[in-house]
Amino acid sequence: MYFIVSVVCTAIAAVLWFFFRERKSLHLDFLTIIFGAASVMWLIDVIFTAAEGNNPFEIEPIDGWISLWTILGGIFFWLLLSFIVNNKAKSVEAK
Amino acid sequence: MACFLVSAAAAVGVTAAKYIVRHNEKKNELVVKEPKEYKFGSEVKWSKKLAYLELMLWAGSFVLAGEHILHGEVTPFPPYLTKAGEGPEGVREMLTEMGTVGVIMLVSLVAVWGIGVLLVDYIKYRKHKKAENKVLSAEAK
Repeated sequence: MYFIVSVVCTAIAAVLWFFFRERKSLHLDFLTIIFGAASVMWLIDVIFTAAEGNNPFEIEPIDGWISLWTILGGIFFWLLLSFIVNNKAKSVEAK
Repeated sequence: MACFLVSAAAAVGVTAAKYIVRHNEKKNELVVKEPKEYKFGSEVKWSKKLAYLELMLWAGSFVLAGEHILHGEVTPFPPYLTKAGEGPEGVREMLTEMGTVGVIMLVSLVAVWGIGVLLVDYIKYRKHKKAENKVLSAEAK
């Protein structure tokens, strides 16, 4: 389930990146890459789960929390990184 | 189990490589050279390309680490990985998982990054060539 959530987040972030591509300070490319990387890693996990004979899309009670973590964790990482990069750019400009 | 550790370890290596490459690029910038001929892939610096790989690896490991914590595979007390505390059998199982799933995750991330870098370089190269041809045809007229 969290793989699907991650893929959907990647698609949404990519669309946002396309529409706000002129606003570089938003760093929506980072957000797309964060969710994209998580999607790639979970795709491999899904493939291995299927290869073991289990249903990778079987929903467990913990999946909801992991999906929530995927969204919040990704957004947190993006906000943190954007804050650092924007501040770094500001300090370079000040010099 | 601990598949995210492979990508996290690679991320540390890529971060170090990025700083070395950036340092060398800055050093080369200080040396005044004659303008070089435009080459495929020279428009985007390697330090920037590596920064994107670094971001992919760190972000992937970070999100996956959260999933492992929620699954109870990572604990805040030693030995931190529940499988490591299950004895040699558990450690063997963990290392096997890292060697298969973890390494394939890392390889696929690097492959996706490589394709992205090639694509961006190709688009930039084509744009440059188009502009160059426009100038040449204007000069010929």
